[in-house]
Amino acid sequence: MATITEVLARPTYGASGLWSWITTVDHKRIGVMYGATAFVFMLLSGIEAGVLRTQLATPDTDLIGPGRFNQMFTMHATVMIFMVIMPMGVAFFNFVVPLAIGARDVAFPRLNALSYWIFLFGAILMHFSFIVDQVPDAGWFSYANLTEYPFSENMGLDFWAIGLLVLGTSSVAGGLNFVVTIINLRAPGMSLMRMPVFVWMTLITSILLILAMPVITVGLIELVMDRNFGTHFFNPTGGGDPILWQHLFWVFGHPEVYILILPPMGIVSEILPTFSRKPLFGYPFVIFSGIVIGIMGWAVWSHHMFTVGLGPIANSVFTITTMLIAVPTGVKIFNWLGTLWKGSIELTTAMLYALGFVFLFIIGGLSGVSHAVSPSDFQQQDTYYIVAHIHYVLFGGSIMGIFAGIYYWWPKLTGKMLNEKLGKLNFWLVFIGMNVTFFPMHFVGLNGMPRRIYTYAEEFGWGTLNLLSTVGYFIIFIGVLVFVYNIWQNRNARRVSHDPWDAPGVEWSIASPPPAYNFAEVPHIKGRDHYWIEKDLAREAGNPITEPEPAVDPSTIHMPSPSYWPIITAAGVGLIGGGLLSHYGVSFLGGLIAFIGVIGWSNEPASAPEEGH
Amino acid sequence: MAHAPETAHHEPAHPAHGEAQPRHGGTGHGEHSGSVGHDYTTTGLNHRKMLMWVFLGSDCLFFGSLIATYMVYRGQSLTGPYPADIIDIPITTISTFVLLCSSFAMVQALSATNNNDQRGIKIWLLATAILGGIFIGFQVYEFNLFKNEGLTLGQNLFGATFFTLTGFHGAHVTLGIIWLVSLWILSFKGRIRPDTALDVELCGLYWHFVDIVWIVIFTLLYLVGGFDAGPAILGGEH
Amino acid sequence: MGLLPRKRAGSPPEPIPDENAQRPAPRRNRLTRLAFFGAAAALFLLTAACSQGFQSTWDPVGPVAQKQLQLFNVLLWTMVAVFVLVEGALIYIVIRYRRRPGQPRPPQIHGHTALEITWTIIPTALILGLGIWSVFTLFELDQPPTDQGEILNVTVTGHQWYFEFEYPDAAGGKRISTANELRIPVDRPIQLILESDDVLHSFWVPKLGGKVDVVPTRQNRLWLMADSDLIDQPLPATFYGQCAELCGLAHAQMRFRVTVMSEVDYQAWVQNYNPPQALTPQAQQGKTLFAIHCALCHTINGPEIESVAKSRIDSFLTGGDAVAVPGPNLTDLRTRQTLAAGITDLSVENLRAWIRNPEDIKPGNWMSDKAAFYTDGGDANLTDEEIDALIEYLLNLR
Repeated sequence: MATITEVLARPTYGASGLWSWITTVDHKRIGVMYGATAFVFMLLSGIEAGVLRTQLATPDTDLIGPGRFNQMFTMHATVMIFMVIMPMGVAFFNFVVPLAIGARDVAFPRLNALSYWIFLFGAILMHFSFIVDQVPDAGWFSYANLTEYPFSENMGLDFWAIGLLVLGTSSVAGGLNFVVTIINLRAPGMSLMRMPVFVWMTLITSILLILAMPVITVGLIELVMDRNFGTHFFNPTGGGDPILWQHLFWVFGHPEVYILILPPMGIVSEILPTFSRKPLFGYPFVIFSGIVIGIMGWAVWSHHMFTVGLGPIANSVFTITTMLIAVPTGVKIFNWLGTLWKGSIELTTAMLYALGFVFLFIIGGLSGVSHAVSPSDFQQQDTYYIVAHIHYVLFGGSIMGIFAGIYYWWPKLTGKMLNEKLGKLNFWLVFIGMNVTFFPMHFVGLNGMPRRIYTYAEEFGWGTLNLLSTVGYFIIFIGVLVFVYNIWQNRNARRVSHDPWDAPGVEWSIASPPPAYNFAEVPHIKGRDHYWIEKDLAREAGNPITEPEPAVDPSTIHMPSPSYWPIITAAGVGLIGGGLLSHYGVSFLGGLIAFIGVIGWSNEPASAPEEGH
Repeated sequence: MAHAPETAHHEPAHPAHGEAQPRHGGTGHGEHSGSVGHDYTTTGLNHRKMLMWVFLGSDCLFFGSLIATYMVYRGQSLTGPYPADIIDIPITTISTFVLLCSSFAMVQALSATNNNDQRGIKIWLLATAILGGIFIGFQVYEFNLFKNEGLTLGQNLFGATFFTLTGFHGAHVTLGIIWLVSLWILSFKGRIRPDTALDVELCGLYWHFVDIVWIVIFTLLYLVGGFDAGPAILGGEH
Repeated sequence: MGLLPRKRAGSPPEPIPDENAQRPAPRRNRLTRLAFFGAAAALFLLTAACSQGFQSTWDPVGPVAQKQLQLFNVLLWTMVAVFVLVEGALIYIVIRYRRRPGQPRPPQIHGHTALEITWTIIPTALILGLGIWSVFTLFELDQPPTDQGEILNVTVTGHQWYFEFEYPDAAGGKRISTANELRIPVDRPIQLILESDDVLHSFWVPKLGGKVDVVPTRQNRLWLMADSDLIDQPLPATFYGQCAELCGLAHAQMRFRVTVMSEVDYQAWVQNYNPPQALTPQAQQGKTLFAIHCALCHTINGPEIESVAKSRIDSFLTGGDAVAVPGPNLTDLRTRQTLAAGITDLSVENLRAWIRNPEDIKPGNWMSDKAAFYTDGGDANLTDEEIDALIEYLLNLR
C-alpha cells in the first residue's frame, strides 16, 4: 500500500503558482477561474457581434459573405449563452454561495474543480472549429434538418454538438454540487427561509440545470448519431421529424432562459437592499416567485414554436401559460421597487448596474408579453423584434446583473475597490450603448426585417436603424474597454475594509480577500440579514464591529487538499469528445485517461501527506 | 429502497463523482470540512447519498427523453423490420427476470455489509455483478440477432430509437457492473465494512434505479410496443 | 380599445405623442414631468421608427395582418402604460429616496402581504383578459372565411432558396406552376398549403399576415386575403415577402413578391400562362441550349410533372455530386418582375449577369454549385451568343 499511497499522494497546498491553480479545489479560486474564462469568451463573442453589426450597418454591405455571417451569429449566441452567461453565473455560485451560507467550501470540492476543467476543455474543443475552419453555422438552436446531411456537410455541427455535450456534463456536475451544497452545508441557523435570495436562485437554477441538461443531451446525442451513424431521428428522408428536435431543444431551451436570468435576479436581490439600507421587500414572495418561474418554465417551451404549425389548441395553451409566467416575474419587479421605496439609496456602480438590470428587464419582460400572444407573435417570430427582446433580457438582464455582481463582490474577492468613477463611466457607456443598439431593433423587426439575414436591400428602409444599432455596439465596446481598464488599474488600488458597503450578508463578516478556510469559526446565523443583525447587536452593546473575523492559523483547520485528478479526468472527458471529432482512438485514449482519473480520484487520500493522521 | 437519514453516520463526507468508483474508505476525516464537525450536514443526510439521489433525478430526464423519442416514433418507421417481426418477448422476459434477481442480490449485499458478513458481501456483490453480466449477455445476443435480421441504427426509426434507448441502458448496466466488481475487489482488502456501507449503498441505489428504468423500457418497448407491425398500426398520425 | 380604426395603408400610425399628451400626469412636480417628457420622447421615436417600409407590419393590406396588428396595438399600448408607470415609479423612487449625507437608516420594512396579493392579482387579471382575447383571435384567424368569395388554393413549396407556387386549379381547371412571385386575385381568400422538400423555411408576407413555417413532413396551412379597401395603390399592387427561418447560405436572399390583381387581370394572367415560343432562329438555338444545360433542373414547358420533380428532389437529397436540383419553374419567367428569388429586377442585362455568374449575385445558390457549365463559382462556360440565345428564348423576345 505504501507505494500506492505515494503515487496517489495529494499535491501539497501551495499558495501561488500555476500548479496551485491547476490543482486547486478552493471554491473561491474555481470561481475566479470560471469568471476569468467566461470573460475571455465574452470578449471573443463580443468581437463576433461586432463583425455581425458591421456587416449589417448599411444595406448591401460586402464585408463578409453569408457563410461567415452564419458562423458568426451561431458562435456569438452559443458562446454568450454556454460559455459566458452560464459560467459567469457559476462563477458567482462558486465564489459567493459557500461564503453566503457560512460554509468552508462546496460539498464536493474536487467535483467542483472537475466541472470547471470540463467546461474549459469543452469550450476549447468547440473553438477548434475555427482552427480547422469548419465552424458551426446553423444558429445556436441548430434546427434540424438544416443540421443534417446533405445540408450541412462539413464538421461544424459536430463540433457544436459534441462541444455542447462536453459543456453539458460540466453543467450537470456543477448543478449537482450546488444542490447538495445549498441543501446540506448551510451554517447552523440558516434555515431555508433565511437563505440569501442569491443562494435561493442558485438552488433553483441548479435544479433546472440538472433537469434540463439531460434533455438537450439526448437531442444532441441523436443529432450526432444522425450525422455520424446513419440514423434518421430528425431526417425526413428516413421518416424522422425535424420538429422533434425543436421540442427537445426548447424543453431544455426555455428552462435554460431561466438558468440564465435567475442568478442575476438573485444578485440584484442582494444589491438593492444593501444600497437601500433596507431588507428585501417581500422576501417570501421573491423566493416563491422564483420557484414558480422555475416550475412554469417547463410549461411554456412551445412559445418558441408558435409558427411551426402545432395548431390553434396547442398555441392557445402555450399562449396562456407563457403570459402567466409574466406574473411571478412582475412580482419580483414590484418587490424590488418596494425594497427601494423609502430606502436610503446610494448610487454606487453596483447599484447602478442593479437598477439598470431592473430598468432594462422591465422592457424585455414587456416585449416578451407581446410575443407570448401567438397571433401577435406570428408577425414577430424570427424578426429583429425578438432579437431586441432577447438582448433586453440577456444583455439588459443577465449581463447587467453580472456586472452588478462583479462590482459588488469585487472588494470581497480582492480586498480592493474597483474605481467608482471608471465604474460609473463603464455603466453609463454600457447602459446607453445597450439601448442604442437594441431599442431600434424592435422597430426594425416590426418593419419586417427577419433575423439571421446577412444583407438587406436599401429599399426596405432598414438602413438608418441598423446603422444606429451598430453605433450602439461600439459604445458598448468602449464601455467594456473601460471595464477592462478598471480591472487592470485595480492592482494599485488601496485596500478597503472587509465590509465596505455595510452589507447584510454573512460573507462580509470575514476578511477580504477571504482566507482559504473562509470562516475561522462557523457562524450561527441569526436571521435573514445576518450581518446587519450582528452589527446592530454589537453597536447596541457599545462595541461596533470594525474588524473582520480574526484570522487563525490555517493548519488548525482541516481543509481539502488540492488534487490533480479533476483536471486529469476532465482531460479524459475532453479527449473523448475530441476523438469523436477526429479518430476514435483518441476517444479510447480519453476514456482510459478518464477511467484512470476516476480510479485515482476514488483512491486518493483525503489530505496531503504531511497533514497525515 | 428509501434510506432514512442516518444521524449517527460516521462516513466522511468525501467528494466523489456521481458515477465514481468507491473511494478509499479508511480515513476518518471529512474532506469538505464544511461546518461544525467533520460530518455535520444541515439536513443530517450524507452529501454523497444526496448527490446520488439528485443525480438519479437528472438521469430520469435523460431516459425520459430517450423514451419520449421512442414513443413519438412508434409506428413511424418507413421500412421493416418492425417490432412485431423481431421482438422476442419470452427471451427478454428471462433477461428481465435475471436483472430483477440482481436487484435482490444487491439488497443482500448491502444487508451483508451492514452485518459485516464478509463472506456474504463477497458472494452477493459478485452475484449481482454476474447477474448484470448475464443481462448484458442477453442484450448482446439480442442486438446481434436483430442486426442479422436487418435491423440497424440506420435501417428505420425503430432501429434508431430501439438501439439508442436500450444501448444507453446497457451502458448504464455495464458501468454498474464495473462499480460492483470494484467493490468486490475492495472487499478482499477488507474495505467493505459496516462503517463504509455507504459505498455499497450508493452502488445499490444506482443499480436499483437502472433496474427500474429497465422495467419501464421492457413494458413500453416489449409488452406495449413489441407488437407494432408497421406504419399503419397506430392509424397513421400524419 | 376604441382607438383602433381601420387604418388606410400609407397613413402614419397612431399619433402617439399627442395621445400621450392628453394623458393626465398624476403629479405635476418636476420629477414626474421629467419622466413624462422622457416617455413622450421615447414614444415620438417610436412613431418615427414605424416606417412604411416594404415589409412593415404597421401597414396591413389584408384582414389577417390587420387583426394581428390590432391585437399587437392593444398589447403595445398596455405595454406602454405599464412601462410608463413602472419605469416612472422606478426613476421617481431612485431620485426621491437617494441617500443624503448623515441620513439615518430608513425604516426597516419587510413586506406587505395585501400589497403582494394586489400586485399578483392585477397583472393576472390583466393577462388573463388579454390572453382570452388573443385565444379568440387565434381561432378566428385559423380558418379562411367561407362567405367572401371562392377560396383559391395554392401549394407553396419551400426550396433552397426560393418559393415555388403551385395552383392546382388557378382558374377554369388550369394548373399552374411558378416561382418567386405569387399572383392572387384581390378580395378572395387564398388558402396556402405549405410544404418543404428540403429544410425548414418560413413563409411571410408581413403586410398580408403573419408567418407560418414551412416544414418537411408537414403540410402547414395559412390563409391570406388582400383587401381592396386597405390597398391604397392601383392594382396590380406588389407586396414583399421573405423567408423568415434560417435555411442555409442564401437565406437572406430567399425573397418573393405577392402581386395582388383584379379578378380580370388575374384571369388574363392564368390564360396567358404558356411556355415560351422559340420564334427566331436565335431562340431556337436557345431552346436547344436550354434542353442541354438547364432542363435537368428547370421546367419550362408548363406545370411541374410530379415524377420529374420527385426525381430532382431525390437527386438533390442524395447530396454529393448529384447534378439535379429542383430549380424554379421558368415557364412564365418572361412575365415576372424579378430574378433570383426576388433580389434583382428582371431585365435582359440582369438575366445575362445572372447566367454569367450567379454566385456574384446570390452567394451560395445551387445553380453555380451544381450546373456543369460553371467552374468553381466562376463564370459560365458559355459564349455571349449562347447566353443571348438563352435569354431570347426565356424571355420570348422577338
